[in-house]
Amino acid sequence: MFYRLSGVRHTSYPAARQLWPIAADRWQVGVLALLALLAPLLISDLYLGSYALPWLIWTAAALSLSLLMGLGGQLHFGFAAVMAIGAYSSIHLARGGVPFEFALLGGGLTAAVIGTAFGAAALRVKGLYLVMATLAMQYLVDWVISNVPAISGGAQATLRTPEVSFLWIPIDSLDARYYVALLWTVLMTLFFLNVKRTSFGRALAAIRDKDFAAAVIGVDPFRTKLTAFMTASFAGGVSGAILAFCYYGAVTPEQFGFNVSIQLVAMVLVGGLGSVVGGYLGAGFVLLVPIVLTNLIAGLGAAGWFSISQNLTAHLPLIFYGGMIIGFLLFEPLGLAKIYDNIRKYFLVWPFRHSGS
Amino acid sequence: MSEPVLQCENINRFFGGIHALKGISAEIQQGEIFGLVGPNGSGKTTLVNCITGFYAPQRGQILFEGKQINGMRPHRIAANGIARTFQNVALFKGMSVLENILMGRHIFMNPNPLAALFYPFWAAKEEVAHRRKVEQIIDLLQLESVRDEHVEVIPLGLQKRVELARALCAEPRMLVLDEPMAGMNQEEKEYMVRFILDAQEELNLSVLIIEHHLDVVTSICDRVLVLNDGNKIAEGPARTAMSDPEVVAAYIGGQAHAA
Ligand SMILES: Nc1ncnc2c1ncn2[C@@H]1O[C@H](COP(=O)(O)OP(=O)(O)O)[C@@H](O)[C@H]1O
Ligand SMILES: [Mg+2]
Repeated sequence: MFYRLSGVRHTSYPAARQLWPIAADRWQVGVLALLALLAPLLISDLYLGSYALPWLIWTAAALSLSLLMGLGGQLHFGFAAVMAIGAYSSIHLARGGVPFEFALLGGGLTAAVIGTAFGAAALRVKGLYLVMATLAMQYLVDWVISNVPAISGGAQATLRTPEVSFLWIPIDSLDARYYVALLWTVLMTLFFLNVKRTSFGRALAAIRDKDFAAAVIGVDPFRTKLTAFMTASFAGGVSGAILAFCYYGAVTPEQFGFNVSIQLVAMVLVGGLGSVVGGYLGAGFVLLVPIVLTNLIAGLGAAGWFSISQNLTAHLPLIFYGGMIIGFLLFEPLGLAKIYDNIRKYFLVWPFRHSGS
Repeated sequence: MSEPVLQCENINRFFGGIHALKGISAEIQQGEIFGLVGPNGSGKTTLVNCITGFYAPQRGQILFEGKQINGMRPHRIAANGIARTFQNVALFKGMSVLENILMGRHIFMNPNPLAALFYPFWAAKEEVAHRRKVEQIIDLLQLESVRDEHVEVIPLGLQKRVELARALCAEPRMLVLDEPMAGMNQEEKEYMVRFILDAQEELNLSVLIIEHHLDVVTSICDRVLVLNDGNKIAEGPARTAMSDPEVVAAYIGGQAHAA
């Protein structure tokens, strides 16, 4: 119908390299961008604050991790710790009087430095050992934050974010916090899309696919992977900082624990490795699961059908994530993004059955 | 001919107890097509792997344009001007033909993530400039029709040609081809020979080629080196070396062994 490849003809190299060469895709992106901009007018504060806002921030975080896991093929089971470093350092910087913009940058840089240091160590090993090395990072960072009062903020271990302003606009309302998060997520999205069409992104994909063939045409495997660690850690750090300032308002070590790392991995895998659409779908899905599960169980319990212990209820989402990760790895390794892509391809050639490519 | 581009001196390579290369020496002259032949398992790929930095020879040294390259890592050797293809096609599966060939430009590009952040101002210009070079190579190897296909879906013969294109895009001064015609039919073979000769002439390359087909070897190679069981058993102009009695015997033995 509207989705047509025919009539799309490129007459110059720059034109052939557009992000969205198909007109219908451009329309779709435009409408989504408009909806995102108008969201504070369209939906209630409750939905904006407890659904849209966290969804955006977790999408940015999932995209950060997907850069490393999806494009670079490097597993990371300690990404929540990277976000924690970004969150804590930006809060301390802001409390010390550094302007918010630079505090965010500082949070990202600190996360990048520490994340890269662990990455350098982790890259010396492969496969399961890489998983262990990133897990070690998770526990080490957790431990340091909890046990150093100067970082965690004292006895209650709760650190409040100070009042800040972004580009001279005070970030004191839900709408303002929403727009800061939106700005960061849009930036991350564009960055991710662009990485895929630059030499850095191609080099990462090449190494993931066939490291020896990549090396033989001049890609330095270690340096490229380390750059991926650095970039992902920076983006993860800023995402952590945005999460702290725009959503939580106060941080505790548990907010960035091991289960959060698993949740992030689930977002990336369920959404689709290395896919932007997958980042949005994965984050949305993983965030909705505990809400739906909790309501379902509460509903069933109230109806007297069955009841399960509080303890088990708390662990159900984690069990579910585990199941989802395994299920998607087995049946749809390309995740929800692939399912979306299939639907899109279907319309691209509608009413014919198959696309040529 | 002038001085050699590549000198291998007394190359020895062991794999555990296997002595895969037993003191091989060879010199490749600027601009020549040098054939490396021998039965299966005679050490041809091993020699090429030493030259391109996959592993270092335990003894011996390799000089490229007078500079020692044994012990350098593969990406450094690539940056120094040697490109290669593989016996089993080694293309990047997730990418299109165009993206695969563009990878060949990597050493001239700036793989900086910041370039993606400022894409329109920074990366776009670079991408377009390299795209022009890539299109020249696509023209040369007549790959226009499959430019936008995914590499897995095109036939093996074309895949090998894409791999050649990727190597040529790195603007190497020396090209190393490991059995570029393996698994091809007669027509594809003839095309490949044509492309290798065209590329060599147009881009002024020195070529080291591992090849099984004797007709190909005698028709395109200036000189050949024959390996058998890690030993050099003959070296010289293609026709003379290939009719050496020891070579003939090794070949018949090797073929019988392979079959
Ligand atoms: N990575 C390796 N590990 C162990 N043995 C190897 C390795 N590569 C090659 N060999 C051995 O070295 C010998 C030469 O192999 P190769 O160079 O691949 O032969 P060719 O390319 O001439 O067919 C063979 O006996 C092979 O088994
Ligand atoms: Mg071989």
